[in-house]
Amino acid sequence: MKILILAGYWILVTILGLLYMGIARKVTARIHNRYGPPFYQAFLDVLKLFSKRETASHGVMHSLGPVIAFAGISATLLFMPLGKGAPVLHFQGDLFVVLYLLVVGPLGMALGAGESNNPNATIGIARALSLMLGYEIILFMATLPVFVHYGTASIYDVIVKQGAFPNWAGLKYPLSMLGGLIALHGLLGEKPFDQPIAPHEIASGPMVEYGGKYLGLLQLWHAIGIIVETGLFINVFFGPQNIVWFFAGTFIVFMLAVIVNALMPRFRIEQAVRFYWGVPLILVVLGILQYYFWR
Amino acid sequence: MSMEEKIVEELKSILGDLGEVWIQREKRVYAKVPKNLVLPILAYLKDKGFHQLTTITCVDWIKRGKFELIYNLFSLYHENIHVFIKTELERDKETMPTAIDIYPMAFDYEREIHEMFGIVFEGHPRLDSFILEDWDGPPPMRKDFDTAKYVEEKYGVKDYTEEIWKRMEQPYREEKDE
Amino acid sequence: MGLFKISQGRSLWMVHFCTGCGAVEMPPTMTSRFDMERFGIAPMATPRQADVLLITGYLTVKTLKRVIMVYEQMPTPRYVIGFGSCTVNGGIYWDSYNVIKNLDLYIPVDLYIFGCMPRPESIIDAFIKLRKMIEEGKANKWKDYIERYDWYKQNQAKLFDINKWRVQK
Repeated sequence: MKILILAGYWILVTILGLLYMGIARKVTARIHNRYGPPFYQAFLDVLKLFSKRETASHGVMHSLGPVIAFAGISATLLFMPLGKGAPVLHFQGDLFVVLYLLVVGPLGMALGAGESNNPNATIGIARALSLMLGYEIILFMATLPVFVHYGTASIYDVIVKQGAFPNWAGLKYPLSMLGGLIALHGLLGEKPFDQPIAPHEIASGPMVEYGGKYLGLLQLWHAIGIIVETGLFINVFFGPQNIVWFFAGTFIVFMLAVIVNALMPRFRIEQAVRFYWGVPLILVVLGILQYYFWR
Repeated sequence: MSMEEKIVEELKSILGDLGEVWIQREKRVYAKVPKNLVLPILAYLKDKGFHQLTTITCVDWIKRGKFELIYNLFSLYHENIHVFIKTELERDKETMPTAIDIYPMAFDYEREIHEMFGIVFEGHPRLDSFILEDWDGPPPMRKDFDTAKYVEEKYGVKDYTEEIWKRMEQPYREEKDE
Repeated sequence: MGLFKISQGRSLWMVHFCTGCGAVEMPPTMTSRFDMERFGIAPMATPRQADVLLITGYLTVKTLKRVIMVYEQMPTPRYVIGFGSCTVNGGIYWDSYNVIKNLDLYIPVDLYIFGCMPRPESIIDAFIKLRKMIEEGKANKWKDYIERYDWYKQNQAKLFDINKWRVQK
């Protein structure tokens, strides 16, 4: 029975992720003053990609890269509660497990991109791992005061211990929430922080030698990643929600990221890391100090 | 005296009666010199302040049997005046010393002229194929190169045959039942 | 399956490899006025991610080598659209010594768009025709390249040395 719930949960998250990607393209197009593709365009893209046959192969590790990335993000779903309902596995310390599993994606891509003989892939994956020096630290320090306040290290416990509307952690620690929002923008890979992908500069970075079915898996990885990452943010800072309000919250946060994506150019990698160690670091440090001095 | 006339006077005082100097129009000064005086005049003008060699072109006078090389020099310090230095070479018999030591930007122009006309520049380190890869004919910019005959031999298509029209009108192929 | 064919027709990704002077008509087609993204067409950075190769203009022998390298890297099924009159019979370069005259001898072409240059409306019309051809199952000239590989290579060998550009160090 649990297997069926888990499978249904996985399919629901994939479908919603692809829907969000399609709506994002529509919103970007409307900002550019044109009509965009229909909102179900991402489904058509993934179906098309799974019907192609490749012409060359670069070895076993190259083919396993997207599989490792997809497996990592799917495993994170075991620990992610959707609103009020308990996830399949929850124990003390699963926050750290989730934060580590979010790194497995780029790591799998790094192993795969190293096997392809393309220097663009190496540059792209080096940029992805350098960007992590920026946002991972901010993300962790932003969630730190919330978890210490409620005295637990499990995401599900933090949700239960926050109450209804006025007791949300986001309203008690607003500076940490803002820092977490900026870190989320980098985690999603939207402009100005999309150095790893960068289609015009380095020919899509680590995805340069993947076509056909591998690219379809990478699109699914991105789709599940959207829901998991915005879901983590909503769970930590906005308390227990009905499942419908949970997905509405992820949608609003994702649309904020998409609107900034449509308007901004891309930073250089050193500018991006230097930005993260500037204003967002001050915000999260003030949030931690707020825990000690003004609870 | 205007700037053009000053330049004409200086060049005439160097050349004497070995060459001609004239003003074609406002900001254009032409000088026609013999082949062995080209590099000294280029060095002299570079010292004077003509910092840029804009281009080197070649004209094929087939009836007289000569190639004419034209060096185009430009200077910002002389009110944007172009000075053109012209020489003449015998067709297929004479070679020209290279101007790389004076103006390093002549590297690519001389390579192109060698590929298109066949003139050899002595002292140039790299005179191989530049724009035309896998070229197997005579240098194409000469006036005795017959383009139409070359195209017909190489590409084989001058007028469309029945087969080519049929292939273009049917963009897909019939699937055979297996 | 029908669903795969429909999705192939409605999400064509083109290689952003703009040869020749026809490339100047691609930016107006991609941007806000004659939006082509509403038909699902998007430019992609590498040939390994794309389905459609647009040959936008004349091809010299030097570029033809690179175009063939790009074409052979695309995953199947792949389509080629010839843009402008230079791909049909050489266009205004019909008697030039370096421009190829008939593209169909070297790579298989599905559609030709006439014009010098074609307007963005005709480009979008060509993509809609390609979508209809895919849904009916008629855009299958890529199989021709695989089956008659020797014939295409023989034609290419008349222009350049086909062994020279495959040799790596």
